[in-house]
Amino acid sequence: MAKLNMKYVEVLAPIEEGKRIIDFIQQKGVLEVNEYGLNDSLQALPTGNVVSVFENNRALVLSAVEVLEEYASNKKSLLSALEPRRELSYEEFLDRSDSIDTTLCFARRVVQLSKSVTDLKVANAHLNSQIDALAPWMPLDAPAGRGKTENVGYFAGTLPAPYTEESLKVAINEKYEDLPLYDIKIISSTKDLTCIFALAMFESIQELETSLRELGFIPALENLNSTPASKAASLEEEINANLTKIEDSQKILKDLAQRLDELEFACDYYNIRIDKYESLSKLALSDNIIAINGYAPAKSADLLAAELEEKFCAAAQVREPLEEEEPPVLFGNNSFVSPVESVTEMYSMPGRDDTDPNPFVSMFYYSFFGMMLSDAGYGLLMVLAALFVKKKFKLEKNIKKTVDFFLYCGIGTVFWGAMFGSWFGDIVQVVGREIFGKEIPSIALWFEPIQNPIKMLMFSFLFGMMHLFLGLWVNFLQLWKQGKKLDAVLDVFPVYLTVTGAAPLAAGMIIPVPEIYAVVGKYLALAGVAGVVLTAGRSSKNIIGKFGGGLYALYGVASGYLSDILSYSRLLALGLSTGVIASVVNVLGTLPQNKVTKIITLIVVFIFGHAVNFALNVIGSYVHTNRLHYVEFFSKFYEGGGRAFAPLKINTKHFKFKEEK
Amino acid sequence: MLLSMPNLGTALAVLGAALAALMGGIGSAKGVSLAGQAGAGVVAEDPGKFGKVLILQALPGTQGIYGFLTAALLLAQIKIIGTGFEPVPLIQGAMYFFACLPVGVVGWISAILQGKAAVAGINLVAKRPDQSGKAITFAAMVETYAVLALLISVLSIFSISNLEM
Repeated sequence: MAKLNMKYVEVLAPIEEGKRIIDFIQQKGVLEVNEYGLNDSLQALPTGNVVSVFENNRALVLSAVEVLEEYASNKKSLLSALEPRRELSYEEFLDRSDSIDTTLCFARRVVQLSKSVTDLKVANAHLNSQIDALAPWMPLDAPAGRGKTENVGYFAGTLPAPYTEESLKVAINEKYEDLPLYDIKIISSTKDLTCIFALAMFESIQELETSLRELGFIPALENLNSTPASKAASLEEEINANLTKIEDSQKILKDLAQRLDELEFACDYYNIRIDKYESLSKLALSDNIIAINGYAPAKSADLLAAELEEKFCAAAQVREPLEEEEPPVLFGNNSFVSPVESVTEMYSMPGRDDTDPNPFVSMFYYSFFGMMLSDAGYGLLMVLAALFVKKKFKLEKNIKKTVDFFLYCGIGTVFWGAMFGSWFGDIVQVVGREIFGKEIPSIALWFEPIQNPIKMLMFSFLFGMMHLFLGLWVNFLQLWKQGKKLDAVLDVFPVYLTVTGAAPLAAGMIIPVPEIYAVVGKYLALAGVAGVVLTAGRSSKNIIGKFGGGLYALYGVASGYLSDILSYSRLLALGLSTGVIASVVNVLGTLPQNKVTKIITLIVVFIFGHAVNFALNVIGSYVHTNRLHYVEFFSKFYEGGGRAFAPLKINTKHFKFKEEK
Repeated sequence: MLLSMPNLGTALAVLGAALAALMGGIGSAKGVSLAGQAGAGVVAEDPGKFGKVLILQALPGTQGIYGFLTAALLLAQIKIIGTGFEPVPLIQGAMYFFACLPVGVVGWISAILQGKAAVAGINLVAKRPDQSGKAITFAAMVETYAVLALLISVLSIFSISNLEM
């Protein structure tokens, strides 16, 4: 039984023991705490406020961690996700928890520092844009604004066209012939902007400006009282001062990054606390008593109850779940089966009447994946990568599952790739032909699908039938176990007969089938059809209903199984697509005529082409293997709708508690 | 006059291959783009969903591969790729052309429709990340018909080359 048996646990304790008991349960991590039914005398403990305070603190700590990770001297590599969490004893945990407020201050300081760095950078960007705006005024050795001396007024500004001093004077004279004495200096001039500095006798300065405005003059925005150069210099100084401040802050942050560990601890601490207080809100309490209930795996339930009674003043009761209860589901499978649990979980956890589908999924999953990816070279890469990771790192349980998933899928791929003679496409033949001038025959252990796609199609259908029959067989087992033995026999065997019998007849339309199979098939199919028509409508009361139900079921079997089996043609389609693209990659690599160029091109194209093909087809194979299981396989027996076992436990990212000896 | 051109059959076959690659590619580009736009929105909210969204986005991409696959197979079959080219008889070229239609037309349309299903799936993942298996399945259902079309095209191409003419 790969779905672990669950037992219902109920604990009663004096109210003052409550928190300690919850702590203990969390540490054990085997009990899923459920909502306790409330009534007039039993109240819930409102913990929402505490939880939200913790959540805010956690958010602060998380943003501090994010900042410091950027400044940490030893950057985390991609592979660091595979490293195991650090170990911590419970006493150490308590010790470090005492200084959590200090850590919180520390986190606040980090966030502030990082904010000030960001603010200063923004300020500098603003200052830099001011300097840029001053650039065209740089040659001017007077304030680029408006002003006057005793007799002379002056102003600066821009015109929206290129001018020289002469052309500007001509332009002004065209409009105002009798302007008194004035002078205009061109500071700089580009295609669409001319910066000018104009001065004139005090009484005619207004007139000069009016005439310039008609040419599109805009006064300089900056009413500077120093020359542009000195203004720019002071801005520059400000920027440098900010840069120093940024550098100082960054240096502090870099130093603080060595204390990243503290923040990571705080992160875990708050996770634990939030889980705890969320669970606390699920208990019920009267004036003196708290009540906890939930489910635990049968193996741990009794032990937990005994320990609770021994360590605390508490009463714990364990019983089998009632008929109408739906206990959560926890899988207990061996290391070959457990990697596919994630596939099942993505679909749905098994419901109460479902058996654990994982052992059955694992029978075909790796193989189907292998047929779709169908290249031994790609499979070998997966196997090597998985083995490397397994050897290099001490993996945590759930990561190990993922790596094992890769490993077994890789093995399946190597197997089918070798059967179909595909190692990085036809690289063996290509190298032999193009570089050594020798024709190498196919190295397939079985046959190459691309040479005989019909044969592969037939085998795809055959494998599909086997897969569906397995699903049907699981259905048989489930019904049998529920005591519906008659249903088990009548629902399953007529379908076996019909589909087995029809298969050689259908295959006969595409490939020659020996006479004897066709004859035997015909009788099998007839027997199966009779079985379906006569028995499938048995739940109906009257004879017409029985017969009608039978006919309807026959239609269901015929159309359902036909489309289901045809769907397995994707085993061929995805396999072909990997193989053909891999061959095209190899052909592209050998296009150059010159042998040296050919070898170099081949190496480059080989690496890039196969990397892309590999990535695309791994995704495709994964998705379509899942689909074959979800749509074709699960529909034969699987209900789903269960809920995953979610115990109250120490749910941490960076640290874990040492196993108690 | 036109019918007596020696390479007309080959040209028809190449036209078929080109159509298969073109239509599948156009459809997939459209479908993947639809899903990518929806996916970018989801990832903007929660970068952690990238993996799940990427799988959904990749789904409508296969039709382009099927079209490409058919084209490559056909070009290899008539020796445009590789050595030993011989002109294809006109009638055989026409057959090749027709054989390419299923994967081209179905690939084109199904890729766009699958893209829409993938967008819906991405929206589902945005709200309920634990349901991504179902979202993937919904979108993968559409692909069945592209697979069937591909098989008809590929099987036809192989069968046509074996015909005695």
